[in-house]
Amino acid sequence: MTESEVNSLPLDSPEVRRLHRNMKRRANRGRIWTYVGAALIVGWILVPLFFLTSMAFTTRETVRSYPKNVLPFIPFSTDTVRFFLDQPGVLEGLWNSLVVAVITLVLSTILAAPAGYAIARYIFWGRDLVRLGVLAVRAFPIVVLSIPLAVFFLRTGIFDSLYSLAFMHTALTLPTSVLIIASVFASVPHELEEAGQVFGASALQSFWHIVLPLALPGIAASSIFAFVLSWNEVFAAGVLTLENRTLPALLLVQLQQSSDAYQFAGGFFLMAPSIVFMFFIRNYLFNMWSQVTK
Amino acid sequence: MNSSTPASTNEPIPQAQKSTLRIFQRAATPYLLVAPVLIFLAFFFAYPMFEGLRLAIWDDEAVLALREGPSLSASESGRLPQGVTVEVLNRQGNLLTDATATDLLTETWFRVAVAQPDKSTVEGWAPESRIRVREENADGTPLAGTVRPKLGEPDDPRTTLRDDPGEGGAEISFVEPRAQAAILEVAILEVWFNVRGADPGESAQGWAPSRFVQVFGDGVTGRIDRGTAGEFTTEFIKKMFNDHFFDPAWRTTLLLLVLIIPAQFVLALLMALVIHARLKFNSWFLYVFTIPMGMSDLAVGTLFFSIFTGNGLLNSILEGLGIIDSPHVFLSSQTRNWIIVAIVVAEIWRSTSIVMVILVSGLQAIPDENLEAAELFGASYWQRVRHVMLPLLKPSVQVALILRTILALQVFAVVIALGGGDTVTVLTNETFRQYSDFRNNNVAAAYALFVMVLSLASAFLYLRTVRTDTEIER
Repeated sequence: MTESEVNSLPLDSPEVRRLHRNMKRRANRGRIWTYVGAALIVGWILVPLFFLTSMAFTTRETVRSYPKNVLPFIPFSTDTVRFFLDQPGVLEGLWNSLVVAVITLVLSTILAAPAGYAIARYIFWGRDLVRLGVLAVRAFPIVVLSIPLAVFFLRTGIFDSLYSLAFMHTALTLPTSVLIIASVFASVPHELEEAGQVFGASALQSFWHIVLPLALPGIAASSIFAFVLSWNEVFAAGVLTLENRTLPALLLVQLQQSSDAYQFAGGFFLMAPSIVFMFFIRNYLFNMWSQVTK
Repeated sequence: MNSSTPASTNEPIPQAQKSTLRIFQRAATPYLLVAPVLIFLAFFFAYPMFEGLRLAIWDDEAVLALREGPSLSASESGRLPQGVTVEVLNRQGNLLTDATATDLLTETWFRVAVAQPDKSTVEGWAPESRIRVREENADGTPLAGTVRPKLGEPDDPRTTLRDDPGEGGAEISFVEPRAQAAILEVAILEVWFNVRGADPGESAQGWAPSRFVQVFGDGVTGRIDRGTAGEFTTEFIKKMFNDHFFDPAWRTTLLLLVLIIPAQFVLALLMALVIHARLKFNSWFLYVFTIPMGMSDLAVGTLFFSIFTGNGLLNSILEGLGIIDSPHVFLSSQTRNWIIVAIVVAEIWRSTSIVMVILVSGLQAIPDENLEAAELFGASYWQRVRHVMLPLLKPSVQVALILRTILALQVFAVVIALGGGDTVTVLTNETFRQYSDFRNNNVAAAYALFVMVLSLASAFLYLRTVRTDTEIER
């Protein structure tokens, strides 16, 4: 039955009702399958997460035991986590990671916010070049950067300092920060800013009182993203630090000679921030990518 | 717009000039705003990138410049490449200019005041070998001593004093052996050698400081240890190709790429379609789907280690279901294929989220009308996916493919966490090994360069193939 034939039928005719019912049934069946698929994918993601978390919060005997009681029946205890935190270098590593991540957060936000605003609000010669260049940084392999940076930092004497690592991490997070912030500013209607100026505010005032408050959640999201990226980063941290290891770098060098309990608790500390923070930033990531692929 | 400013000033700025100023301000503002990022990236991205490429193909110590005389200010007399055998013709001490250098051969000279038999005192420089130190202060600085007798030269046992430290100083007087000498000053000299190339085709002659020349036991032959000037070299790249880890590393890296990327794009598309279906609790699905995106590759490595390890989750489940009787060993040096399976599973788990996010962003840009139109014409769900969504998703797929391929070429911590880095090795692991275990920055840089060339080549390939495809369909 073609479209024109369907359209010529009266709306309450049995044919149209049947068609409608079929479509609805088919849609419902499709929906159920979509729910099943969604549940399966959720399981695929959450089961490993839950297992590692339960391994971090149980006794060391349970970590060693076999076969393990599957999933919800693993006894709760803070034994493994406390054992991990008592190991030499772990608390320092956590602190170093925190310091580096905070410096990265501050630096990348301060640098990226003006650039993001410029890309969102101005049309200027080289704008696409800047966007492309910023994206290219994301695309270049980090290994290429770490080795010469290590040599360079050794030569200038700031090797193995938390600052040098934070600088490197800032270079890595800047592209994402710039693009997220640009997408955030682009989503604040330009008319609001103009309205402010019509009512006598200067460009700076209308930015400060109108645009910034609206963009602040998005800028916060990009800062959090920079934090998470820095917290997670393994390769550069391993190359650029020696005595002042961050948590990932410490775990990396300890991996082969450490117990399962140590690894699992360490893995838990590494992944914890992302589980919390992804909740706040996921929507901004979508906005950023829709800007990029546009 | 703002009329109060010109009215309140006595000499209003001409309108034309004012608007030029405003245009200039408007034109300059975006550049000022973007400048900090660009400057930062120039320092911490462009410069190290350039340095990295240079390290891989440039030998900083390839050639040694020889001097006419034993001094840095003497003009250049010739060049000898590193490793050439040389004859040592002469040697002389020279004031040490750079005390931080290593591999130095040094001489110590004293400025002494020596009492002569006629009660007068002469002052001058003599080498350490001619003065026996008899008195030192607490920190070891010599204060006084006696002049040594010159053995084997009974005719003239006297010691020469010079006006400057080093054999190049003019002779000013001679002092008798065993005379009392007050040590006024100490100078440390670096020995310079006058060398001549002894290898065929390399016969340049000239002076060079000891740190660059290694002199053999006989004292008259030696070799150029390192140079002062750089030169283009393929040595490090050759070393990388000859490294016995190189072959397994690039093969495994590409194998992982081929195994991971197609599977993960299928999964990412399914995830994106689930999100696009706008189910109830969609925002929670979205949250769960994006969690792996924020996770460290090392954390994911340990996560899947906890599953695949001998007493891990997988064995527990398999035994609980009665499929196996005793734990199966997945991660050992004998089970290379299982390690690769574990890495593939872990990487798909970890890195599919980013592809999903890019695809969802692409799907959101597709107008609902297109899909509704297809539905009205009787297209089934899969037909709509295949013929409407996928073609319109092509730009997103292209971006995601480029990004994922480049990131997959850098897979690192997951491989270490699951396989230890020896049984299964990848290119980044070899970079790290060359840097931290072998302390060979140049070969490490060559590996890094190789990864970058692969990244650029793959990006170029995708830009070419995926783009051409869309043009044909149009």
